[in-house]
Amino acid sequence: MSSTQSAVRSHAEAVQVSRTIDYLGLFILFFVILGGFHVHAMLTMGDWDFWSDWKDRRLWVTVTPIMLVTFPAAVQAIVWEHFRIGFGATLCCISLVLGEWINRYFNFWGWTYFPINIVFPAILTPGAILLDGVLILTNSYLATAVFGATAFALVFYPCNWVIIAGLHMPVEYHGILMSIADISGYHYVRTGTPEYIRMIEKGTLRTFGKDVAPVSAFFSAFVCIMIYFIWHFIGRWYGTTKFLQQT
Amino acid sequence: MAATSASVSAAGEAPLLNQRNLWCFGIAYYCVYYLIVRWYEGVYGWSAGLDAFAPEFNTYWMPILKIEVPLEFATASFIASYLWKTRTRDFSTVSNREILRRHFHHFVWLVAYANAVYWGASYFTEQDGTWHQTIVRDTDFTPSHIIEFYMTYPIYICTGIGCFMYSYTRLPYFAKGVSLPYLLVVVGPFMIFPNVGLNEWGHTFWWMEELFVAPLHYGFVFFGWFALGILGLFAQIFDDLTGLIGKDVCPDV
Repeated sequence: MSSTQSAVRSHAEAVQVSRTIDYLGLFILFFVILGGFHVHAMLTMGDWDFWSDWKDRRLWVTVTPIMLVTFPAAVQAIVWEHFRIGFGATLCCISLVLGEWINRYFNFWGWTYFPINIVFPAILTPGAILLDGVLILTNSYLATAVFGATAFALVFYPCNWVIIAGLHMPVEYHGILMSIADISGYHYVRTGTPEYIRMIEKGTLRTFGKDVAPVSAFFSAFVCIMIYFIWHFIGRWYGTTKFLQQT
Repeated sequence: MAATSASVSAAGEAPLLNQRNLWCFGIAYYCVYYLIVRWYEGVYGWSAGLDAFAPEFNTYWMPILKIEVPLEFATASFIASYLWKTRTRDFSTVSNREILRRHFHHFVWLVAYANAVYWGASYFTEQDGTWHQTIVRDTDFTPSHIIEFYMTYPIYICTGIGCFMYSYTRLPYFAKGVSLPYLLVVVGPFMIFPNVGLNEWGHTFWWMEELFVAPLHYGFVFFGWFALGILGLFAQIFDDLTGLIGKDVCPDV
């Protein structure tokens, strides 16, 4: 191997090679992150994301951002520092949402026949854009953790409000106060029907007026700041370039 | 991308990026195969996959399990053995141009790995969630498990082994030792497969169909994190590529 002989023969070819590698690398990064992030997401907050009657004003708002600020923080730690790519968080969330949508359509609807308006995934991209935006503008992981991760959690509920509002409309059904999402869920009974396991909107939640979602979002935001820091360092650890044995 | 191949082919040598390998092996092979698998699930999941004690279950589902597992072991062994047997023993005779070509082959392997990881970890794993919240399981070897755990996971493991072995035996940068991030990105998802044992044992022990985020599943999560090793791997790959087409060896860049 000659260390002085160039692998490319012209400036034009160097540019072509570089661009080709960029496209291939982006494809690989997108789908490998999709796989890892989707496993993480579906097994840590998946039930809230699967079903519209799980998308409540407390646990969904709290759990989802906390669990989903993880991979964006880890990916940002490497792709911003090593490659100056400013869309690490957006790439993570778009890949996850793509994987979820494909699944909800072809499997939740296509195989087990749940209507899409019961199984749509949450919208994540606006929070991810904010997370990336803060990092690009400040060039500071500290600021991104404090302001970006907070924004990531705070905008989660408002961004999803457009698709969830109609399903949270109160209705009286056989003399009982329910939401449209509840009634839909009753008609499509699963082993995870929330009224069976008593996890969703339990306790004083439904007598607590209108203030539950903002309180949940702020609590989620505080936790997201810590999670961002932790996952930033997890990302750095996975981004190691060490070899186990040097020969 | 097309220009990369065309410009080099005109010089009468093998293209840096073999487009046929990329599209056929990296993309089409996995997609077409899994679309056929998905079609089979759609047809025979409902008609023959609801009752593990029914004769039709033994006709349409169990043979897949009995065939796929030995086939996967054989494939993984063959890939690893072949790549090791045909390894480059003396890198001093390999030109930088050839190393760059091998990097592109390596990228084709990684595209295939990304594709396989998508189908296994994303598509068929979440599919398992909806199937088992709809059809209550009466066996470890349900239609979704036979595909997810015993087909798609081993296939991405085989592909990951291929990626790792190709880099270790063909690229001097990766032949100098065992790349830690590469090990993480291949071995982490590999460990999801042994975790299946814990999962299946737990499901025979506890009744927990109602919660996909059950603690029993956290092993999958932990090993799923290892996919982040791709970040360190890319840092290594680009470190090597910088040496191959960087300013110090290509004044035109």
